[in-house]
Amino acid sequence: MDKKQYKFDKINLGHGSGGIMTRELLDGIIFKTFDNPYLNQKHDGSIVKIKGEVAISTDSFVVSPIFFKGGNIGELAVNGTVNDVAMCGAIPKYLSLAFIVEEGLGANEFIEIVETIKVTSDKCGVKIITGDTKVVERGKGDKIFINTTGFGEVHPKAEISSDRIKEGDKIIVSGYIAQHGMAIMSQREGLEFESTIESDTTNLNFIIESLLNNFGNKIKLLRDPTRGGLASTLSEIATDTNNGILIHENKIPLERQVAAACEILGLDPLYVANEGVFVAIIDKDVETEVIDLMKKDSKGLNAICIGQITNDHRGKVVMQSGIGGKRIVTPLIGEHLPRIC
Amino acid sequence: MQTVKIVISGQVQGVGFRPFVFNLAEMLDVNGTVSNNEEGVIIFAQASKEIVDSFYKALLKEAPILSKIDKHYITEVNHKKFKDFKIIPSENASGLNLQLTPDFGICDKCKNEINDPKNARYNYPFTTCVHCGPRWAITKTFPFERHHTSIDEFKMCQACENEYSDPRNRRFHSQTNSCGECGIQLKLIDNESELVSTNNALIFNTIHRLLIEESIIAIKNTSGFLLCCDARNDNVVRKLRQKKNRPEKPFALLYPSVEKLKTHFSINLDIEKELTAVERPIVIIPTSIKNKTPIASSVAPGLNQLGVMLPNSPLLQLLANEIDFPIVATSGNISGSPVLSDNLEALELLGSIADYFLLHNLKIEHPQDDSVIKVSNNSNERVLFRRSRGFAPNYYAPKIENKKNVMAMGAHLKSTISYMPNDYIYISQYLGHLDNYGVYERFGKESSSFMNIFQQKPAVVLVDKHPSYQSTLFGKELAESIGAEFQEIQHHKAHFASILAEHSLFTSPKEILGVVWDGTGFGNDHQIWGGEFFKYHNGKMQRIAHFDYYDWLAGDKMAKEPRLSLFSLVDEVASIMTKKFNPKETKIYKELKKKNKLKTSSVGRLFDAVASLLDICDINTYEGEAAIKLENHVLGYDLKKCNSYASVFGNDHLSANAIINGVQSDIDSGIEKPQIICNFLFTLAKLIIDVANHNGIKSIACSGGVFQNTVLLDMLKEIAGNEYELFFNRNLSPNDENISLGQIMYYLNGVDS
Ligand SMILES: [Fe+3]
Ligand SMILES: [Mg+2]
Ligand SMILES: [Zn+2]
Ligand SMILES: [Zn+2]
Repeated sequence: MDKKQYKFDKINLGHGSGGIMTRELLDGIIFKTFDNPYLNQKHDGSIVKIKGEVAISTDSFVVSPIFFKGGNIGELAVNGTVNDVAMCGAIPKYLSLAFIVEEGLGANEFIEIVETIKVTSDKCGVKIITGDTKVVERGKGDKIFINTTGFGEVHPKAEISSDRIKEGDKIIVSGYIAQHGMAIMSQREGLEFESTIESDTTNLNFIIESLLNNFGNKIKLLRDPTRGGLASTLSEIATDTNNGILIHENKIPLERQVAAACEILGLDPLYVANEGVFVAIIDKDVETEVIDLMKKDSKGLNAICIGQITNDHRGKVVMQSGIGGKRIVTPLIGEHLPRIC
Repeated sequence: MQTVKIVISGQVQGVGFRPFVFNLAEMLDVNGTVSNNEEGVIIFAQASKEIVDSFYKALLKEAPILSKIDKHYITEVNHKKFKDFKIIPSENASGLNLQLTPDFGICDKCKNEINDPKNARYNYPFTTCVHCGPRWAITKTFPFERHHTSIDEFKMCQACENEYSDPRNRRFHSQTNSCGECGIQLKLIDNESELVSTNNALIFNTIHRLLIEESIIAIKNTSGFLLCCDARNDNVVRKLRQKKNRPEKPFALLYPSVEKLKTHFSINLDIEKELTAVERPIVIIPTSIKNKTPIASSVAPGLNQLGVMLPNSPLLQLLANEIDFPIVATSGNISGSPVLSDNLEALELLGSIADYFLLHNLKIEHPQDDSVIKVSNNSNERVLFRRSRGFAPNYYAPKIENKKNVMAMGAHLKSTISYMPNDYIYISQYLGHLDNYGVYERFGKESSSFMNIFQQKPAVVLVDKHPSYQSTLFGKELAESIGAEFQEIQHHKAHFASILAEHSLFTSPKEILGVVWDGTGFGNDHQIWGGEFFKYHNGKMQRIAHFDYYDWLAGDKMAKEPRLSLFSLVDEVASIMTKKFNPKETKIYKELKKKNKLKTSSVGRLFDAVASLLDICDINTYEGEAAIKLENHVLGYDLKKCNSYASVFGNDHLSANAIINGVQSDIDSGIEKPQIICNFLFTLAKLIIDVANHNGIKSIACSGGVFQNTVLLDMLKEIAGNEYELFFNRNLSPNDENISLGQIMYYLNGVDS
């Protein structure tokens, strides 16, 4: 669609009134973009077909800036929820989509986001089946907030359950960490590094599906370490399952540029958000095969085993440091505050 | 005929008290019994009234040198006739209410024995008596009886038994008694576990040779491992630095004797007293006045001071007998990890550092680093830098009403645990940086060990307000698991409370000014405090002033890079900054500073900024490096020649910027570094007096890591003269090691509640 054709420059309160302007916005942008039989039902909701057990996940996306290196908020909103559904051991099928737009958002920006959502959801193989758009007064939002809810069919071979984790299980990370958080931060804070750091936002549903196809219940737990980073995700697993987790610092996949950026800012990459990385806890018997398979997929080129489940230090994550000695990895608590006296 | 029950409490177990009582009773012809119980030493004495009286008096007056009596009482009781005087076994220890016993350095008599070819203990490296030897290091539980310690694994031979049961022997009831026949075995192996020697008579001579041949030797002392090498040999010291991943941090030295030390450096009597005290700490001595020393420059690069110690155990004494030169004796650990004490663990972790291992088979229950003390040059103020072997776990606190069992978890970087399960306070040895998992484990062990020894769990757990101190998280978990009350106490208030406790000032009728200056602490306003002034009066602690806030940049990195503190305090276009930051860094930090929300009042970081501005240290290679090196440039001062950089309190502002500007203008006018540093320290000292004056307070209590600066202490004392009363931490370090005691004292004295 040619953005120029849309007759308003900016989204205004009238677009959220529920009247003619709303209709125009929906017809002119949303339905036109997502054109599919479910949405075309134009009911208050959609009636869909789904087989067996259903995995459902919802997430709201509030990111600033809304356009960043490597993606925009629309791409995050699709990938984030698709990934969450995939982490349940399911194949994502449908998404709901709700916008809260702040009055004054450029129509072109809105259109670009909607189009990104379309492209991304096609890539993920999911359909947008229902949605909502609200407009709030200036200052009551931050350009645009998006909520998506994803529905997926649980993979027949999947048996994802933290109860099944046991000593010796391996912890696999699918790729370079801390990319998304550093991309957002460097853009927001106006920080310039040697080369631009790009968000890693991507959909992980197909690589997960192929892992489940091949290894079934040998895949015991899947998590995407978004907010709070790898440290918080692993800590949650350790605490929730009362297992010990031992990881090795020099195995953590970290891109040189991101490492340097973290170093200069005094940030620990373990706490920086990811949007295209997952952690798998797997039976140790299949470690090599899992990694081999992952490396064949563009989403898992840098997959690596970073550690294992232990009987020691139950409930805690401990990291073997690169220079000797071990340190405790705690979940992120509030903001980062210096501790050295 | 009268029968009395006498109870004596304090540090009275493991110090030869019962044998002393026995001998006194024999001498005065008193019948009865003596035993250890949960309160201390309990005596039943039967004799004529006059004799009982003089017996009681003599008990208190002539008590063994290592004992510390703090409570005693006598009551008349009815009892059948005693036939003689006996030492009887300990009663059960539930409800323990007495001092524990710290480790004691080797005594002169034992030293003579191991050096005497005619003595049965000639060359025996674990010779002890009631007056010396390990105590806390080997304690599993209490009262202090052999079967409550790890030395119980060694059964005394007949000769040792005879000594043990002979009232006239120095080893009568000596719980750590052992000899070469029955005792602990030494072995020297190489780092491939190949046996070199097990012969006590030859082993130290071999070590001497190996040291000369540039070997690094891990020596298991009775409190933990030491890593040793020839301190004269630059090659081997550098090798140790490289292997230990410790580029610059000074190493402590073991001197074979105080005489040898004096041939290298001039030390005053106060320093000598500290070196030879029963705790045998490392003492930091000035090395600017020196005779010709052979010490390698890599031992303490860029410093005019050196940590030295004398042999604290028979094992180190025997080594000292063989060497006539100082050796590096640094904690046996890998960087940041706790001091090691287990043979297998040491072989695994130190195998790539040490060429040889001197091992023994005594299990160490409470590994401890060496304690560290410094004495200020001018006023001989004694400052504890690290409280560990020799001091832990006792703390002599003023009496305090305590009805609740309290455990305080301390801070994060220099962690300690304080416990008050009864009338006494126990403070663990320095445990270290809780980021390190080994330290964290040991922290947990000491906490459980306290609970086990006293067979009680705390009703109240106290922690720092910092949400992500590992000690805070640990305390939270502990409180939840045992259902204890849980309370957070602000960091700097705890520092202040530690001094109020050390000097019994909680009930002082006077107002006390608390000056708490350190690097970092989480403030009540969620900013990073560190340049604080409090007023304490009538149970209320009020923050009355603080350094003006400036930007805290880049998380923990700012504490590691003094140049960042400078960046925060000066205009980044200043020409000096271009030398310290490349254009890319400048751009990034400028952006950070522009949008930064986290502020600090830290004086520790101000020291960093000054050190960076003076090109003394831009990036720390060890904790506190900038401040240490800054102090080190001052060899002496004359107050009359010092200038203050700002009448900073003139407009109610304490401005770190103003101080930095003052330093800069001195640099610009070509003033020498040492004088600039003196001016800086003088500014701070004078500031303290100004604030006191401004608030009409005459009593000043100073705590926080900044007060490890002994030049600042000297200046402050000089300026205060007789007009102001000054209080410093006395038996605790001013740094975060005192936080756990402060937390307990703040809580128990009901401050601010
Ligand atoms: Fe502190
Ligand atoms: Mg999510
Ligand atoms: Zn002795
Ligand atoms: Zn013996």
